[in-house]
Amino acid sequence: MTAVAIGRREQLIALSWRSVLSIVRQPSVVVPSLVFPLFFVALGTSSFGRAVNIPGFPVVDSFLDFALAGSVVQGVLFGSVTSATALATDIETGFFDRLLATPSTRAGILVGRLAGAMAYGLAQTLFFTLVLFPFGLSIKSGPIGLLAMMIGGLLTALAVGSVMSTMAIRTGSSEAVQGSFPLIFILLFFSSAFFPRQTMSGVYRYIANVNPISYLVEGFRSLTIESLTLQAVAQTILIPALIAVGGLALSLRSLRRRLAAS
Amino acid sequence: MPPQSSNAPIVARNLVRTFGSGERLIRAVDGVDLEVAAGEVFGFLGPNGAGKSTTVRMLTTLLRPTSGSATVAGFDIVSEADSVRRSIGVALQDAAIDPLMTGMELLKLQAVLYGIARGEQHQRAGDLLERVGLSAAADRRVGTYSGGMRRRLDLALALIHEPTVLFLDEPTTGLDPMSRLALWDEIRRLNNDGTTVLLTTQYLEEADQLADRVAIIDNGRIVRDGRPDELKSEVGAPTLLITVAEHATSAAETVLAQFGESRPTAEGTLGVGLRDGAGEVSAVVRALDALGINVEHLELRAPSLDDVFAEATGHRLEGAS
Repeated sequence: MTAVAIGRREQLIALSWRSVLSIVRQPSVVVPSLVFPLFFVALGTSSFGRAVNIPGFPVVDSFLDFALAGSVVQGVLFGSVTSATALATDIETGFFDRLLATPSTRAGILVGRLAGAMAYGLAQTLFFTLVLFPFGLSIKSGPIGLLAMMIGGLLTALAVGSVMSTMAIRTGSSEAVQGSFPLIFILLFFSSAFFPRQTMSGVYRYIANVNPISYLVEGFRSLTIESLTLQAVAQTILIPALIAVGGLALSLRSLRRRLAAS
Repeated sequence: MPPQSSNAPIVARNLVRTFGSGERLIRAVDGVDLEVAAGEVFGFLGPNGAGKSTTVRMLTTLLRPTSGSATVAGFDIVSEADSVRRSIGVALQDAAIDPLMTGMELLKLQAVLYGIARGEQHQRAGDLLERVGLSAAADRRVGTYSGGMRRRLDLALALIHEPTVLFLDEPTTGLDPMSRLALWDEIRRLNNDGTTVLLTTQYLEEADQLADRVAIIDNGRIVRDGRPDELKSEVGAPTLLITVAEHATSAAETVLAQFGESRPTAEGTLGVGLRDGAGEVSAVVRALDALGINVEHLELRAPSLDDVFAEATGHRLEGAS
């Protein structure tokens, strides 16, 4: 038997690289999560361009600036579901057992699976920004704000990926994870992703007020349409970071339970 | 705990695994005792659902026993699970391999997970791919591999850290005859190099060809174990299989009962263990003929592991799955 020559860090990097490859090598997964958010931006900008004049609407140069945050969060949410689905597929096919039969850490196997979604979340944020620049997008908070948004995209992917991974571990079913997709879509629509809360009313406004996605989107939005503030940076990074901590704790607990029961 | 005096690489004592509770309680493994000696190929033979894979999952630390204990490579499967994992190679049923990765990528990943130094990973992966005949397909995605190629890659993955104990769970299920023979050759080579192998199978021929010792498991319990030739000689009498017209079945059974005990067979065929050996075949035919029973098909079989299985469980393994 070979002596242990490399450690946990290399194992985590290798598992992360595998999850990145699994995203890159599935164009059918990548393309929709890049195209649909851009489609929503194009639709919104052409249809609701004059909505920026409605009383209560934030002061923006254009609807495009307003719409970027929603498209980033939408894209990252969709990408993260894919990552959790991949974890469930690993469980279904038995590949997860193959990993568990090795001496690598259980937490490493889980976090490694989510690393692909994190890298993809960061790349998506940059992609949407770069694609929309030629159409007049401006990031008022500058390069530091963009960097904060990219970190926010990465953390949002970790947050959603870890919460969805809990479902993947508990059910071991990729269909169950994919079945949650409409729920995420509803949560997104009942948030301020596409319109500001200030212009909403009734139940819709109430739900948007309690929906964490609203606050997540508004962090990104502040960095797009306002000059750089610590509060906006904190909102963009801390909200997904907090959800990620809770999500990871939940998913690791589910993994421990699954291993104890199995 | 297994007796400390035993140095065998695989030792299990009264291993039990249940699923569910109350009226839905299933005893998938119901008190298995095992001892596999160093350098041995041990065949675990039984139909689907007999408890083979559940036992292997416990021995490879993927499943906690409900009760009982076991050591693998000298380590307790529960309290020293990590040490067990470092010592064993595992190829599970159905060759679960990520189809999006190439053979080389998967082997390197496996090498990292077993802590093999970076400088050695590529060489080790290349050597193993060559050994299992997959060098030409090293950089192709596994999704494009045939079933036989996947199994060979699966075996290579299990060998990346040069384990002393190898678990193969139904390694050839679903393979074509050529791929099966190639895998058998590889298992023999590994065993010749000193690797202890525990393989589960539902194929009698596989157990007969590969295993030094065989345990027959049915309903979660080991019903026979020993060397294949010993087990077969215990059954003793050869089996005479005959087929007669359906209306004559009952009369034929009465005749056959005079020559030995009835043995389970496939539907539509009668079987008898000839008490006094093969020389009685002509006497059986004459007795049937005397009653006007026309024999449509007759076959004399030397004792096989299937007979051992049938004698131990009351039903045949072949055609059961």
